[in-house]
Amino acid sequence: MPKATIRKSMWASFKVFVKSLKGHRLPIAIAILLTIGSALLGIFIPKILGDMTTIAVNTYPNIDWGELTGKAVLVIALFLGSSALNYGQAYILAVVSAKYTKGLREKILDKIFKLPISYFDKHQYGDILSRMSNDVDVITTSMSQEIADVSMSITIILGVMILMLTISIPLSLISFVVVPISVLVVGRIMRYAQKYFREQQNTLGVLNSEVEEDYSGEIVIKSNSYEDDALNEFTRINDKLTKVARRAQIFSSLSFPVTHIFTNLGYVAVCALGGVFVIQGRISIGNIQAFIQYVSQFNRPITEIASTTSTLQALLAASERIFEFLNEKDETPDQEPAKTISKVHGEVEFHDVNFSYIEGRPVIKHFSAKITPGMKVAIVGPTGAGKTTMINLLMRFYEPTSGYITVDGVPTSEMKRSDVRRLFGMVLQDTWLFSGTVEENLRYGNLSATLDDIKRAAVASNVNHIIEALPKAYHSEISEDSDNISAGEKQLLTIARAMVANPPMMILDEATSNVDTRTEQLIQDSFEKLTSGRTSFVIAHRLSTIRNSDLILVMRDGNIVEQGTHSELLKLNGFYAELYNSQFAEN
Amino acid sequence: MFKLFRFLKPYWWQVAILLISTAVQVYTTLRLPALMADIINNGIVAGDTNYIWLTGLRMIGLTIVSAAGSLISSYFAARVGTNFARDVRTAIFTKVINFNLLDLKSFSTASLLTRTTNDVNQVQNVMIMIFAILLRAPLFLIISIIMAIHTAPDMSWIILVGAAAILGSAVMIISIVMPKFKVFQKLIDKITLITRENLTGLKVVRAFDNEKLEKDKFVRTNDKLTKLLIFIDKILELQNPIINSVFNGTTLLCSWVGISLLSKDFAYLGNMTAFAQYVTFVMISFLMMSMLFVMLPRANVSAHRINDVLKKPMRIRWREKTSGMPEKSASVEFKNVDFSYPEAEEKVLDNVSFKAVAGETTAFIGSTGSGKSTLINLIPRFYEATGGEVLVNGLPVKNYAKNDLIERIGFVPQRGILFAGTVKSNIKFGAPNASDEQMRKAARIAQAESFIEKLPEKYNARISQGGANVSGGQKQRLSIARAICKNPDIFIFDDCFSALDMRTDARLRTALKEVTTDTVTLIVAQRVSTIKDADQIVVLDNGKVVGKGKHFELLKKCKVYQEIVKSQLSDKEYAKEIKQAEGGSHA
Repeated sequence: MPKATIRKSMWASFKVFVKSLKGHRLPIAIAILLTIGSALLGIFIPKILGDMTTIAVNTYPNIDWGELTGKAVLVIALFLGSSALNYGQAYILAVVSAKYTKGLREKILDKIFKLPISYFDKHQYGDILSRMSNDVDVITTSMSQEIADVSMSITIILGVMILMLTISIPLSLISFVVVPISVLVVGRIMRYAQKYFREQQNTLGVLNSEVEEDYSGEIVIKSNSYEDDALNEFTRINDKLTKVARRAQIFSSLSFPVTHIFTNLGYVAVCALGGVFVIQGRISIGNIQAFIQYVSQFNRPITEIASTTSTLQALLAASERIFEFLNEKDETPDQEPAKTISKVHGEVEFHDVNFSYIEGRPVIKHFSAKITPGMKVAIVGPTGAGKTTMINLLMRFYEPTSGYITVDGVPTSEMKRSDVRRLFGMVLQDTWLFSGTVEENLRYGNLSATLDDIKRAAVASNVNHIIEALPKAYHSEISEDSDNISAGEKQLLTIARAMVANPPMMILDEATSNVDTRTEQLIQDSFEKLTSGRTSFVIAHRLSTIRNSDLILVMRDGNIVEQGTHSELLKLNGFYAELYNSQFAEN
Repeated sequence: MFKLFRFLKPYWWQVAILLISTAVQVYTTLRLPALMADIINNGIVAGDTNYIWLTGLRMIGLTIVSAAGSLISSYFAARVGTNFARDVRTAIFTKVINFNLLDLKSFSTASLLTRTTNDVNQVQNVMIMIFAILLRAPLFLIISIIMAIHTAPDMSWIILVGAAAILGSAVMIISIVMPKFKVFQKLIDKITLITRENLTGLKVVRAFDNEKLEKDKFVRTNDKLTKLLIFIDKILELQNPIINSVFNGTTLLCSWVGISLLSKDFAYLGNMTAFAQYVTFVMISFLMMSMLFVMLPRANVSAHRINDVLKKPMRIRWREKTSGMPEKSASVEFKNVDFSYPEAEEKVLDNVSFKAVAGETTAFIGSTGSGKSTLINLIPRFYEATGGEVLVNGLPVKNYAKNDLIERIGFVPQRGILFAGTVKSNIKFGAPNASDEQMRKAARIAQAESFIEKLPEKYNARISQGGANVSGGQKQRLSIARAICKNPDIFIFDDCFSALDMRTDARLRTALKEVTTDTVTLIVAQRVSTIKDADQIVVLDNGKVVGKGKHFELLKKCKVYQEIVKSQLSDKEYAKEIKQAEGGSHA
């Protein structure tokens, strides 16, 4: 990216960031005023200390302690006042930045709820999570510091410059000359440092994905004796990382000694020349003392500003990533006023439904079907035929590209999404449970359910005895990746959860793998109970399920190629028969 | 942390240079205030302009020496720090890549990844900090104190006052805030957990219309986090004003005491300014060291995590050269094999014996936890049998050199794992010298040819990290092709057919016959349909072999097998199978 564009984009994200501070502007303004006040009070201290020396020297040997005491009290008042204002500023900014980032976190969560599901197909969870944690973290740590540092530094530079000039113009000029040179040199060095830091971050990213791939595929590496090759590749990236990291470190640590040289040169020049001036009587000794302190005070904020630009860049980069996410397009809002169904019968009809995830690559083509209340519908077909897509459309996780779906004659697209979803209970292959107690998890679909309701559902889903066997029964803590319960038991829990919700219709996705025989039977049995008397859609893998269905939809490449009952379809001797035979019938 | 210092050993002379140059830099920097005092006392007060210029020149000389020292020490700090990090990273990677699967399981992939990258970075940064601060601060401290006492012995008690004030406030603040940091980290983890759950459970949350519930949960934690953050900041921000006041207070004290001592010796005029600077240096050294106390515990956590990996003993030792001659004809034999996890009482495999010979398919079936996956992992020595003997081609696996054993085995893990690269690089992963002809044949047998041919770049099509751009079924087929391309003596399919739909599964197994005429084929499966044609089926239950034989034989006599088959068929089908079994001979 050319430099001008970087500046421009930085400026743009700076504007976005400042705009987002709306509502916090007053406290920030007050904090800035306090900072300026604190800096101004602090500036006078060396001058007064210098005056004390001058008074002492001039009145020596009969030192005027009265006047000195007055000055000393003034110094104490100044630094206490400066410290108090400084703390006030820090306090206000701490509260502001905590509240601001709190708001950001909430906005990110809200956004997660509002984005269409399709967004998450294209974006990785890790990336969104990193915006929630790392990026917000960067803002928390650097925002208040940045505001305080910049206003403090500017005030000190300006104030000290004026005071230095009042003490001695020639000495001031000497110190000022050193500054731009040192700023220029340090700026150059920092630019190199930043270049290498960026390269370091990139290389670290490359190393990260390499290592992740190797670790997660270790079984494949082992079974192909690929360890040495993997190590070679790792070493290559590791060496590169070391090289850029070293350069980044060297350049960034250079800035300190380099500024040190310049400040010390200025310091020495002021000491020597100042000494000569005192002898010539052009300046008082106390003023030299004060001036020397000002020189060091003057240099510090300048190097600080040089270093804040990198913090500022990090801050803006983080805020840019957050606002990029927050500005993603929301799901289309529900229609107002939305239609409702007062008493659900469970008649579902597909009207010439078309759908594609990627434009031009249809997944569902011209699908029409009528499902009468209470029917059991099995959806079968090879992987990638579009079975899961059917569920996504029913639940309105995705909208059809054309055509529509009705429930009891009402188009679902004219209802509120939440109302459509409440029509269906969903048991998916991917058994999601949140971290919390078993009870909380089962109550998820019906927050008003009592513990008795929950237990009844658990008994019906054959999971009660499993729950009772847990150390704290219904109060046991579980989570998505908890390993005290097996995959099959997790599925039983999600079935119980759907049962507690007691929806008019059901959507089930049968899982095949990793369930032992006994659990498998329990699952099948509770599936039976769950679907009895309800219109239900089952992505079926088990023959028994398929055979017991009222209607089988056979999918292939996005089309419903055949539909009917098991025996009808077998008689047809088409794709279904082929599927069925390859699965179990004799050769 | 200090355990990791052994990685510094190869760089001892660089560390030595670093130490010397740091000492030079500190000493020369600290000489400057003394020279300035000389300028005031011997130059200004005595009115000796020449002396002032001469001393000024000496100061410039010292500044240059100091800068050189600082440059050299920064350079070596960066060099040693990054080399150190590189070596630690390589050590971890080498260790992990050679872990057996048991050790790998005891850490999670994600945590190993963090250990290899983030944790090492943490340690590297602290290492560089140590070079910059831990070495410098004590030197600074000691030399400052000596010089301060040297310039103005009567004022030395001020050092104690200043140091006590700084240390006291730092200790107080750290002791209040540090315990809160742990709570803070927990809350941050919880925020991440809730966000992550809402991402992974996106569909469930929306299906149950529970956005509000989730938001409330989030807001509760977010509020707690915000309150804690404000509390921590309120305390932490006290530090700046306190330090500011202490610095100013001591400087005032120096002036005051210096002036009161003027009557004793007029040299205090210059000395008190120098002294004030030394006291400031002393206080800064203490501050730097207290900062290290905040940094060290965090780095220590990382260092511990790194050491945990490094100190893990290598469980499996391979021979350099295969001892003994393996037979020409392929076979796998288990003789009374036991396996149990370290420190676990229960045996995962208990006295397992069977023999699989060339040209035949041996299948393993059983419920989860029956030990079938463990069993096949013993063949390539991913795990080590705790009793009995595993023989490959008549020779115990322990007698093989690693490559000799691994090249004989084509292992397909449960999950289809791919590596970033191309379709070609993935299929040829275990056999880099395979011809393109061989690769195509492997793809055809694995039923992968049809979809590869549809890709725009066919075999040169890019595979992204972890195979994210191909579907689950495609990944699995490519990973099967990878094993076929190796042209091994022994095929091991670890339940890898479940991810395929039944049709593809059946076709693949038929095609496979083409290359398995002289090989041993071992299949772990869930679906009876996958294995019913096997020449030998080994039924496992709780780590024991409870049945061995062909499908129909087992149907007749093995109860566990009957249960498994029953669970996968409808009653009618089961009855038919049993009837066939009773009928005996089945073509």
